[in-house]
Amino acid sequence: MKRIEAVIKPSKLDEVKASITALGITGLTVFEVKGFGRQKGHTEMYRGTEYVVDFLPKVLISVVVVEEMVEPLVKAIAENARTGKIGDGKIFVSSLDEVVRIRTGERGRDAI
Amino acid sequence: MAYVSVMRPRKWLLKAVAAIVLAQWITGAVIIARADAPQPDPAGIATGDRTSTSDAGGNSFVVTEPTDKTAPDYAKNEQAFKDFQAQADKEPLAMKLADNLGHLRISTNFSWTLLTGYLVLFMQAGFALLTCGLVRKKNAGHLMMLNFAAYVFAFLAYYVCGFAFQYGGTAINAAPTNLGGTPTLNHFLLGSGLWGFLGGKGFFLSGPAYDSGSLCLTLFEVVFMETAGYIIVGAICERITFWAFLLCEIFIGGILYPSFGCWVWGGGWMSQLGNTMGWGHGYVDFAGSTVVHGVGGFCAMALAVILGPRIGKYDKNGKPRAFPAHNLVYVVTGTFILLFGWMGFNPGSTLGASDLRISVVAVNTNLAAVGGAASAMVLWYFMFGKPDVTMACNGMLAGLVAITAPCAFVSPNSAVLIGIIAGVIVDLGVLFNERVIKVDDPCGAISVHGYCGWFGAVAVGIFADGTYGSGWNGVGPTTYLGKAGQGVTGLIHGDVSQFFMQIGGATFMAIYIFAFTYIVFSIVNAISPMRVSKEVELEGLDVPEFGLSAYPEDEIVSTEAA
Repeated sequence: MKRIEAVIKPSKLDEVKASITALGITGLTVFEVKGFGRQKGHTEMYRGTEYVVDFLPKVLISVVVVEEMVEPLVKAIAENARTGKIGDGKIFVSSLDEVVRIRTGERGRDAI
Repeated sequence: MAYVSVMRPRKWLLKAVAAIVLAQWITGAVIIARADAPQPDPAGIATGDRTSTSDAGGNSFVVTEPTDKTAPDYAKNEQAFKDFQAQADKEPLAMKLADNLGHLRISTNFSWTLLTGYLVLFMQAGFALLTCGLVRKKNAGHLMMLNFAAYVFAFLAYYVCGFAFQYGGTAINAAPTNLGGTPTLNHFLLGSGLWGFLGGKGFFLSGPAYDSGSLCLTLFEVVFMETAGYIIVGAICERITFWAFLLCEIFIGGILYPSFGCWVWGGGWMSQLGNTMGWGHGYVDFAGSTVVHGVGGFCAMALAVILGPRIGKYDKNGKPRAFPAHNLVYVVTGTFILLFGWMGFNPGSTLGASDLRISVVAVNTNLAAVGGAASAMVLWYFMFGKPDVTMACNGMLAGLVAITAPCAFVSPNSAVLIGIIAGVIVDLGVLFNERVIKVDDPCGAISVHGYCGWFGAVAVGIFADGTYGSGWNGVGPTTYLGKAGQGVTGLIHGDVSQFFMQIGGATFMAIYIFAFTYIVFSIVNAISPMRVSKEVELEGLDVPEFGLSAYPEDEIVSTEAA
């Protein structure tokens, strides 16, 4: 079982969500986060004083899937979240030790 | 800092403006210098004397000498004048008292007009809150700035030429007697007599307009113009550039609003159609359902059509998406402030507390407000299962807009009915705009102000019951429809011509305002697009346009500069 986390631009959330559900994925978690990568923040002025907005609003999507789904999902997210401009984000794939469905007690692949 | 370059002034435009300014300044000074021109009264010393004293029926204390020797009752009037003169000569103290009373009446009316004007000014805050609450959080600062800048720049345009265009000729056919008559505003730039098109005195509120009565009228009328100015914000927000918005405000304050306002309130041709064509009392709009709200609403519609919908508002199948309001607290508070301000908007339009109809107006206004809110809520509940807070607020405003024209001429029962109908119109109007013609109107401004404003003027032609408005626009000063003292009357009470006048006038307003705005701003948009770029619109306009976020805690800020 793998966890896929993707930090994407907030304006791309709808498209990415649509592409994920089109692949048959039935659940995902979304976090509103702030961050920066190589896309720097920008400087603004407030009543004569400069300040820096370093952290830009992003969205982090977290999906848990079986191994076979990792590659299609990564491709779908990357294609739909891409704008071609800096700040598009990153996708992280990590392994999961255990998954449990709380309502029924199912474990492992049945719980996904 | 890319936005600095977008705001560079067009030099030829500035030169043209400067030339016009200079020409009007000189003209104004020359007109005043002529000995036979009425002299302005900036200190208010000469305004309000025995000629302003009258009884509740509007009968003047002073009897004037009849001028028309051929009139049938000339002999009777001449005798009455001679009797009055004899009495006046015998009682000089009574005449001095009459002078004081006249002054007191005018000063009562000045304070009424100014104070109700301040209430209308406060509506700016209400509308700012209302519209800010109705949009997405990322645009909250943008909405507030639009509302703020609207007041500033439309006011300046109105100061330069708007007031002069609208009221420069008001003394000719529509002198505000409650304020002393403003005799210096007596020239039409375009048109003359009963066919006035644009006023021609009072540019830069100088010369003939630097007069206490005239400026009292100015204060009251400028805040009405501001109302039309901020209405457009509700429909064009979340995607218009700031410079384009400033152009819109200058356009509204400088020519769009004043032109129609001149025709209806400044003694212009639409108000005189009762005298020239025999159409009822001419076009009647008591406090501005069409002059203010209709103008704002249909100008907003034209701009919204030019700008196009917000990104993501319609999916690829044309189905609308919801962009929920980010703060319902602002929406309701804003609506209540608008209701409170409307207590100045409608009753204030008598331009005087000496006109005791003000109480009827105040109650009618409230009745329509609650009728509109109730019907909007109930209808929405039956259509969708839950009463929508924002539609309830829009319903109250719809009722207020719709009663604005008829408030002085109808009974309380009619007021409630007008409000109820307006609530239905706004509910259906919002759905119509969103689903059928697909004009994106974030705050429902087109439905509330445009559609219900049109209906308000038509409601005068249906529900007016003749108990007020005798002699309105100079029609039927003593009798009308065969009855003495009969005022503005609608279809139900027997005046068919008024009904057709109202429907025709209101429809003409919609077409004129939409077309004029659409033509001018299609040209502007073709020269330089009025819409922000896609990236800016998706990010939210607060930071890219103004460098400030309305809720900066949402952005973690470094304490050290980069």
